[in-house]
Amino acid sequence: MTIDSAIMDYVVSEENFPDKAFVFKEGGSGDWIYVILEGRVKIKKQTSKGLLTIEALGEGDFIGEIALFKEGKVSRFTSAIADGPVLVGTLDTEQLTRDWEKQSPRIKKLISSLMLNLEDAIQKMVSVVETSK
Amino acid sequence: MNPDLSALKPFLLFDGIWMKTEAKIPSPVRLNFSKDELIIKEGDYGIAVYEIISGKVGVYIDSGGTEVMVATLNPGMIIGEMTFLAGNTNPRSATVRAIEDCSLESWHPRMLASDYKQIPRALRHIVDRSLKRLVRMNKKISGISLQQRKVEENQARKSGGPSTERRSSYRKECNIGCAYRPKNSPKEVQLLGRVRDISKNGLQMVVKTSNSLKYSHVPGDEFLIITNLTPGQEVKMTAKIVNLRKGPTPASTIMGMSFLHMTHEDQKRLGFFLLR
Repeated sequence: MTIDSAIMDYVVSEENFPDKAFVFKEGGSGDWIYVILEGRVKIKKQTSKGLLTIEALGEGDFIGEIALFKEGKVSRFTSAIADGPVLVGTLDTEQLTRDWEKQSPRIKKLISSLMLNLEDAIQKMVSVVETSK
Repeated sequence: MNPDLSALKPFLLFDGIWMKTEAKIPSPVRLNFSKDELIIKEGDYGIAVYEIISGKVGVYIDSGGTEVMVATLNPGMIIGEMTFLAGNTNPRSATVRAIEDCSLESWHPRMLASDYKQIPRALRHIVDRSLKRLVRMNKKISGISLQQRKVEENQARKSGGPSTERRSSYRKECNIGCAYRPKNSPKEVQLLGRVRDISKNGLQMVVKTSNSLKYSHVPGDEFLIITNLTPGQEVKMTAKIVNLRKGPTPASTIMGMSFLHMTHEDQKRLGFFLLR
C-alpha cells in the first residue's frame, strides 16, 4: 500500500520496531503521532484481566493521534505494540498542531467530539470484556 | 440498503426537510426537545449536526433488537458528527433521545462544509482513519454485547428452575425496592430503584432514567446497592453496569449489573434467598 504524499510530507523520521516492541506505553508521556509505513501494530490496554488487545492497525493507520486533539499534556491512553517487524513514520507534531489551531471553532468541536467518542469506545470495549465471563 | 438519492439532487435532506441546495446557507437554528423526545433515529437519513446547549441526551445503539445505551452527552458536546465526517451518505449510526428537557443548536452541514474542505489533507486523513476505527470499534462492542447476552441467556436456560442441580445460580425474578449510589459518591446520596431479578452473579434493576441526570449511569459505572431481600435482612453489594436498555415505561431504564463485591454474610443471605 502506498502512503498518501500529503502524509509523507509530514514524516520527519522513520523508525523500525522488532516484533513485540513497544512503540509507546500506556500511561507514558509523549505526544508524537506515528503513521504505520509497514507492518502491523496492536493497540492494547491494561484491564483487570490483563493486557487486552483492542484492535490491530495496519499500513496507513495512525497511532497516538488522539493526543493532538486534546487540550494540554495528556498521557498515553493505550499501548502500541509491534505485531511482527514494523516501520513507522514520526509525524511533524508541531506542524500538525499549528494546522489544528487554525481550524474554525465548529470544525474543532466536531473533530474533538469524534476523538472523544473513539476514546470512549476503547474504554467501553475494556468494560465489556472485563464483565464478560 | 442505501436508497438512491441521486434523483433528489439538487435537494438535501436536513433531518426530515428537503432543502434546495442553491438556497443560502442557513443560520444555526435553536431547537428545544422535551424529556424523552426523539432527536435522531438510528438508520434514518439526516445530515444536521447538533451542539448541545443545555440539558442532557442519551445515545442508544441497536444490539440484536435491544436498544443499548452507550453514552450520556452533556452541554457543549456534539451529535451527528459521524454522519457529516462520513460525507453525509451513511444513515444515522445511533438513536439520540432527550433524557431531560434540552436545547440544541442545529448546524446545517453546508455551514461546516466550506471550512472542512480547507482542512490540510494530512489532518483529513487522520480524521478519516479515526472515523473508520470508531465505526469498527462500535460494531465490535455491539457484537461482543450481543454474544455476551446470548451466553447469559443460555446459562440462565441451562440453570433452569428450582428443581435442577444448578439451582443456586439461577436468575430469580422479584420486585424489591433498593437504594443505591455511585461508588465514590458521598453517603448522603440515595437513588432508588427496583430489583427485578437477581442471581448469584448479578441483578437487573429498573430505575428512573432521570437518575442519570446528576450521576453517570453508563456501562462500567460502579454502584453500592442496599436492598432487603427478606424483611429485616439488609444486603449490601457493589456492582457494575454491564448493559442498559429501555425500561417498561419511557421514563425508566433497566440496568443489567454484575456483582463486584459482597461480604461472605451477604453472599449467604443471597444464597438463601435464591434457594427459597
